[in-house]
Amino acid sequence: MPPFDRTPLQNKPFKQRKSFATRRQEVAGIRSKFPNKIPVIIERYEREKFLPPLDKTKFLVPHELTMTQFVTIIRNRMALLPTQAFYLLISDSGLSSMSLTMAQVYKEQQDEDGFLYMTYASQEMFGH
Amino acid sequence: MNSVSPSTVQYIGGVMQDELVESRRQQQQQQQQPMERQGNFGLRPPQSPDPSREAAGEPDEMDKLKAKLMSAWNNVKYGWTVKSKTSFNKMSPVIVLGQSYVLNSEDEVERFRLAFVSRIWLTYRREFPQLEGSTWTTDCGWGCMLRSGQMLLAQGLLVHLMPRDWAWPDAQQLTDVDLEVFRPRSPARAGGVPIPSFGSPRGSNTPEKSLPSEQGPKTSQKKRPECARDRLAEPIHRKLVTWFGDQPRASFGVHQLVEIGKSSGKKAGDWYGPSIVAHILRKAVSKTSALHNLAVYVAQDCTVYKEDVARLCDPSRSQAPPDPSSQAWKSVIILVPVRLGGEALNPSYIECVKNILKLECCIGIIGGKPKHSLYFIGFQDEQLLYLDPHYCQPVVDVTQVNFSLESFHCSSPKKMPFTRMDPSCTIGFYAKNKKDFESLCSAVHVALSSSEEKYPIFTFVEGQGQDYGLEGHSSGPAAHILPPGNLGRSNNRRNSDEFVFL
Repeated sequence: MPPFDRTPLQNKPFKQRKSFATRRQEVAGIRSKFPNKIPVIIERYEREKFLPPLDKTKFLVPHELTMTQFVTIIRNRMALLPTQAFYLLISDSGLSSMSLTMAQVYKEQQDEDGFLYMTYASQEMFGH
Repeated sequence: MNSVSPSTVQYIGGVMQDELVESRRQQQQQQQQPMERQGNFGLRPPQSPDPSREAAGEPDEMDKLKAKLMSAWNNVKYGWTVKSKTSFNKMSPVIVLGQSYVLNSEDEVERFRLAFVSRIWLTYRREFPQLEGSTWTTDCGWGCMLRSGQMLLAQGLLVHLMPRDWAWPDAQQLTDVDLEVFRPRSPARAGGVPIPSFGSPRGSNTPEKSLPSEQGPKTSQKKRPECARDRLAEPIHRKLVTWFGDQPRASFGVHQLVEIGKSSGKKAGDWYGPSIVAHILRKAVSKTSALHNLAVYVAQDCTVYKEDVARLCDPSRSQAPPDPSSQAWKSVIILVPVRLGGEALNPSYIECVKNILKLECCIGIIGGKPKHSLYFIGFQDEQLLYLDPHYCQPVVDVTQVNFSLESFHCSSPKKMPFTRMDPSCTIGFYAKNKKDFESLCSAVHVALSSSEEKYPIFTFVEGQGQDYGLEGHSSGPAAHILPPGNLGRSNNRRNSDEFVFL
């Protein structure tokens, strides 16, 4: 018997919820309908304790949007204060330059399946 | 034998473990400032007519004991009791806040000693006046990030107020340091380099025994030409330390910082992060009347908006026409909170962190190991050099005229590998005037772009944040987030599979 995984399917990361083939298909479908939009997956860092979970994970973003504008939109969707720490990590580890456009980021960092994956996180707390 | 020597009193009054580590420091204190010992141990009633303090009255004996046990445990846990030596390679440079030291000669070791020990060291304290709205009289076990933040600000203030390259004339000798030659040279060469005689021999359990050779550090003072100048600056140094005193009225004391943090939803006993602390420091500096020509700027989203800095430093600029005289510029501390990776530090940023610490305008980085805050001030090879706030010391009453400065400076440098650095941190810079700020921008830009990671960890941008749509439209209460407690269990996820158009 395989080890029992308690995590409900809908709480798992997007990549684990869907097979590679399905994800590829999804990208192909949406790209043909909206060729000047970039498919982005935004998920909460699994250990994030302070930032709220977004109600949606899939976004279609215009090419010319800069990272600064994009971050501002996501911040606003969460109704964060300007002083609240918020970071978008691309493909789970790197930061991106805030002046880049989404098209540039997509070109460099898109996944094999055609999505651009981003994780959002605040900062860790320190206490002992 | 009826008379009780001061050292005996201290032994009883203090915590034994503290004694071992501190024995030498305290002996120095006894020689120099016999007056402040009482204040040091909180036996003297408070001088200030602070009502909250009076209400608290004499601390309960149990509480005192508890505080002592806690601090003793803390000091064991974080390696202050069982001393471990820090090894330094004598061949590769040690970087401390933009200065480089190669520890292969006595002169260089001396320069390094002054550079390290002159930094302000702020640690956990116990038995300080109760923090308002709580029962806390210590920050031991929760306040380390606040302490790191204080150290960063203190460094900014040293650069701001003290003479250039100031060194503390009374800086202690280094302790627990080993100099190692990793690449042995020819015997003649190695013999020609005298190994400095500081530090007790490895394996010695009785630090007191090494005392005779180390006593009278003052006499070993090199005749630095700046020494007289630095001595004259002592009153400012002393004043600066009082701002970080553990009493409610100190501008940058834990009491003030905790109070300011309340508006960010934090309270005494909570853990703090490097970004929150950056904002607390910004508010604390703007609140104080002592520093009217200094401002603090905190970057948002890893971007420093140069016009926003200019407006902060030159208030006449926000009016038209702008005042062209650069004289009006305030000095500025620039704090950049970042996250250099997800769970662990992205190794491609290590080079970049090194480059930043090599800059003269850098005043250090507050971050740490996971959950354990440290103040990074430099590095050697693949290890960061830091000041550690996790040493619980008894409170010092800084309202006393001749309070001791000893416990506000650290004599044992410590290192840790870059790979253990927590990705969350705040980087600090200082610019004295407009010209300084301009050169800071270009120096930092070069440091950031030489990293092997393609994108810099933060950027300087012309213009103001609002030009980039950073302010204004907030979606208000109708945030697009999942309701709390509903984490994906509800039907919300059913329609979450649709794309959102931006």
